[in-house]
Amino acid sequence: MASILVPVAYLIIVFGSLFVFSYYYRKHTSTRVYEPYFPSHPERNAYITLLQQTDPPASDSLLKSALVRRAMADVQRVLRIREDKPALQALLQKGSIGDELWNSLLAAEKELEVEIMEVISEANSFVDGWGQVIFPTANEMIANEKMRAVFEHTAEAKADLEIKYEYKAKHGALPAPPTNAAKTNGLLSPSTPGPNSQPTSDAEGPGTPKSAKSKRRK
Amino acid sequence: MTDHEHSHTHAPGEEHTHSHDHGPHSPIDPPTDPASQALIDQDFVPVALAVSPDGHNALCAEHKLEKCDSCNVDFINTNRLARLLASNPSLLCPPPNNVVSQQLSQMVQRTKDEGNALFKQGQAVPALARYTQAASYAVQRPPWEANQVMREEVTTVVSNRSAAYFDLGDYISALADAETVISLRRSWPKGHFRKAKALLGMHKTKEAAESVRLGLSFEPQNNELLTFLHDIEKVHEKLEEKKQQKLEGAVPVTASA
Repeated sequence: MASILVPVAYLIIVFGSLFVFSYYYRKHTSTRVYEPYFPSHPERNAYITLLQQTDPPASDSLLKSALVRRAMADVQRVLRIREDKPALQALLQKGSIGDELWNSLLAAEKELEVEIMEVISEANSFVDGWGQVIFPTANEMIANEKMRAVFEHTAEAKADLEIKYEYKAKHGALPAPPTNAAKTNGLLSPSTPGPNSQPTSDAEGPGTPKSAKSKRRK
Repeated sequence: MTDHEHSHTHAPGEEHTHSHDHGPHSPIDPPTDPASQALIDQDFVPVALAVSPDGHNALCAEHKLEKCDSCNVDFINTNRLARLLASNPSLLCPPPNNVVSQQLSQMVQRTKDEGNALFKQGQAVPALARYTQAASYAVQRPPWEANQVMREEVTTVVSNRSAAYFDLGDYISALADAETVISLRRSWPKGHFRKAKALLGMHKTKEAAESVRLGLSFEPQNNELLTFLHDIEKVHEKLEEKKQQKLEGAVPVTASA
């Protein structure tokens, strides 16, 4: 009759092959590389390149500045991932996208955590305790830069607005247009009545008001 | 703790020693995962940059420019911060945001008050100059300070400047300033008020009313806005009457021709 060896051998073969398979499978999945979610990290590259400069070497203040910009880029990435994650999750559940993109996002998230740790340790290497402060600083700097950009954009916005409202005035049936065009076309010149002057004033529109205003400012 | 060299290994296979004094080790030294570290190192692509002779500015390698579109680099902000840190050697690193430079606030306040005084006397043009100067001071604030302060300062100054432009009849500039105020501080009813005034100056009653309503949505009990809405409606009616009269006046002319 069959000895006890046969079923034992059977069990060993089945479980053994399962273990072997799972071992190789896990090794395979852990080393799989996913598509990078973010294309590149220019601020990190700039920082590392600056660290490597020897001729002339980058000063400490430049390195600190580059590190802060790296932190700022990381903060923006964190925000972006925080926005994208629930959206992607919803899409994934609906089945509109595949697993690849989701895995890329998760891998990017992990990489970002490591990156943040690295930035903190770098900051601590410059000044003790700076690591705790650098990310709030980066937040403030991002807000500050946005404000500066808005403020500096005011001057350009003027030209756009002129075009927008002049066009609007001209297309409207209101008799107001000539006075409107005159008011925006440089207050130093008297109002230009009549439809004949309108095409020319339109062309000069963005030009003369700017110069008129800059003259006033000076 | 004694001084020691602190080496950063960053590019694949390259050592770089970055030595400086070290106090006691910071208590939180997070363990780094070597696999992810390797991924980061793999991702590294050197940037073609050059350092200026004084070591404080980063420039593109080819053209030695701060901002170079062909090399696709923009170091303006980096260099600005670096120069700021270099010119204040007592500042080891950007401090936490609760430190606010009072001197700058005072300068902004003083210039703004001068502008207000001139404006009240009716001299809108010099007031304008003052306001622009105050705004440029306010924007010079060190970027690591709490942004709320800068936001308030800049919006008040620019809103006053919008009022000055309005008095001069330059409605487009007033509108541009009002738009800036709104995009910096959306929940402030004054910004919407200024925008509505500028639009009303251009006889755009509908947009003006919309603007006032948006402002009211943030502060429903604001009297200034409510009275202004009333004024807008009155102007709107007057304009409609004028339109009607013009149309009626035009009909007999064309009929006879």
